[in-house]
Amino acid sequence: MKLFSLCFALCFSALSFAQAPKEIFWEDLIPQGHVQISNQDAASHDGADQNWVQPDLDAPVVTALDGQSVSLPGFVVPLEGDSEVITEFLLVPYFGACIHVPPPPPNQIVHVKIKNGVPIESLYDAITVTGIIKVETWSGELAQTGYTMQAVGVAPFEL
Amino acid sequence: MNLASLAFKSSWNRKSSVLLTLFTIAISVMLLLSIERVRQEAKSSFANTISGTDLIVGARTGDIQLLLSSVFRIGHANNAVQWQSYEYIKQQRGVAWTIPISLGDSHKGYAVLGTDSSYFTHFRYGKKQMLAFEHGRAFHNGREVVLGSDVAKKLNYHLGEQIVISHGMGNTSFHHHDDNPMTIVGILKPTGTPVDRTVHVPLIAIDEMHGSGHNASPHMIGKAINKPSNEAVHSHDEHKHEDHDHHSHDDHSHGEHQHKTHQPVESEPGDLIGEPKQITAFLMGFDSPLYTLQVRRNINQYKGEPLLAIMPGVTLRELWGMLDIVEKILLLFSIVVVIISLLGMLTTLLATLNQRRRELAILRSVGARPWHIFSLLTSEAVIITLLGCLLGTTLFFVAILLAQSVLQAQFGISLSLSMLSSYEVTLLGAIMLAGTVMGIFPALRAYYYSLSDGMSIKV
Repeated sequence: MKLFSLCFALCFSALSFAQAPKEIFWEDLIPQGHVQISNQDAASHDGADQNWVQPDLDAPVVTALDGQSVSLPGFVVPLEGDSEVITEFLLVPYFGACIHVPPPPPNQIVHVKIKNGVPIESLYDAITVTGIIKVETWSGELAQTGYTMQAVGVAPFEL
Repeated sequence: MNLASLAFKSSWNRKSSVLLTLFTIAISVMLLLSIERVRQEAKSSFANTISGTDLIVGARTGDIQLLLSSVFRIGHANNAVQWQSYEYIKQQRGVAWTIPISLGDSHKGYAVLGTDSSYFTHFRYGKKQMLAFEHGRAFHNGREVVLGSDVAKKLNYHLGEQIVISHGMGNTSFHHHDDNPMTIVGILKPTGTPVDRTVHVPLIAIDEMHGSGHNASPHMIGKAINKPSNEAVHSHDEHKHEDHDHHSHDDHSHGEHQHKTHQPVESEPGDLIGEPKQITAFLMGFDSPLYTLQVRRNINQYKGEPLLAIMPGVTLRELWGMLDIVEKILLLFSIVVVIISLLGMLTTLLATLNQRRRELAILRSVGARPWHIFSLLTSEAVIITLLGCLLGTTLFFVAILLAQSVLQAQFGISLSLSMLSSYEVTLLGAIMLAGTVMGIFPALRAYYYSLSDGMSIKV
């Protein structure tokens, strides 16, 4: 219930100065024409024969999305937070991305930060995150691009 | 005379039973508040212990066990990570920093953690807070040690003092590394996490304690502060130590480091790592959090040895999930205790009602209406519950004050003596409401008595 009210409050405050967030799905995060290596197909549960091959680390991103207000459904992999709320998490397209299946390529992960955090009861439930999505490049040995999102609202996912 | 003071004075007339009831309620309130406070503080101090770390890697075990042993120093890791594996994983793409951790030794009951300088630059707790020094600095060579704030306070250590690290966990060890005195060069600020109760030493020191210290050159023996024994006795001791080591600590590979023993440590300033064969675990941070899932997967499938990588955030959630049922049972029990105490109050009020029929009749005779009688009885219950809650809250603060140091020392839970949270006030409100509702039953009874009895009692 807390979640709902929070979402509504935040959505309306966001709406007051911007138009409704665009609903996007995970396919929209892959540039048109790019043939994505399917991790699900490559999954081998009998011990990986390709050790330390990071799948598709340089998967391209859709730069047109940068700065847009969007809402995206997905599952939560918590990164930071306290006993009550989560302030930083990874949004991934399928449950268990952090457990027993190969991880999605970087363009299928969104790094979400939310001010003040949200209480998330169960990691098994899908949620819809609303916020400004950005294409970010992280510096390191090799540049890594991916999506980040400054979220304003989180709601349970409903079909 | 208003009803409340009349109720109060009437209760005072029956003080023994009323006081007992009051104490029952007070104790149950204290129990409920304490359990809830400890539960919440335990949770938040767990959640505050680690932050900004993307992965924790250790030998393959359970997720939760790895988290507990590496970060909270609860339990032990049963196996170690090979140093080559650490070196290999460290070089992978996207790895921004790593902190090696070597646990398993103690100093007067405090855990000794072997690490390198990255610990002081990359370790984060709470809300991405860095470790800060109260006094001194990080260690710069293998003979220096940095203390957590509790260790320094409890053992009354100051900068520049020399301490000796003992082998194995626990308060007493029969196997002291007397020939490895270390100088305290830094004391950390309090963090409210297990870091406060940790003695930080360079990895190379852990290595030397286990491997090379026993045939140390004479000048090192002379340095021993705890056991200024003559050389003959000492060499006898060495023998025993060697034996002991072979039996119980096969994994500490002394052979590997024998060759270094004759070099004075002073000749390798800056070397904090040495040549460790294995470490207990390591923490990792990445350039981008997007790497986390992939690297985690790769470490879990690492061919060289069975390793386990966990994301602290996810594993903490799992831990909450596991403890959820225990928390609920504890809450349930303390609520039941409160209900029992309130029922006790109800019993006392009902039991004394018959004796009070004369009192009520007198009140009627001086002009009290039946609803006066009703509110008199209700306000009695309210007063008892209110005083019970107040006394219970006081007892609760006393209990927290007393338990604070024990909980901090034994379990690393830092209890704050803060004011009641809104949640706790809600609990008290619920108890007050329940107490008032309980008071209605004897009040109704008295109401009907006073209607039928009028001014004379018909028994």
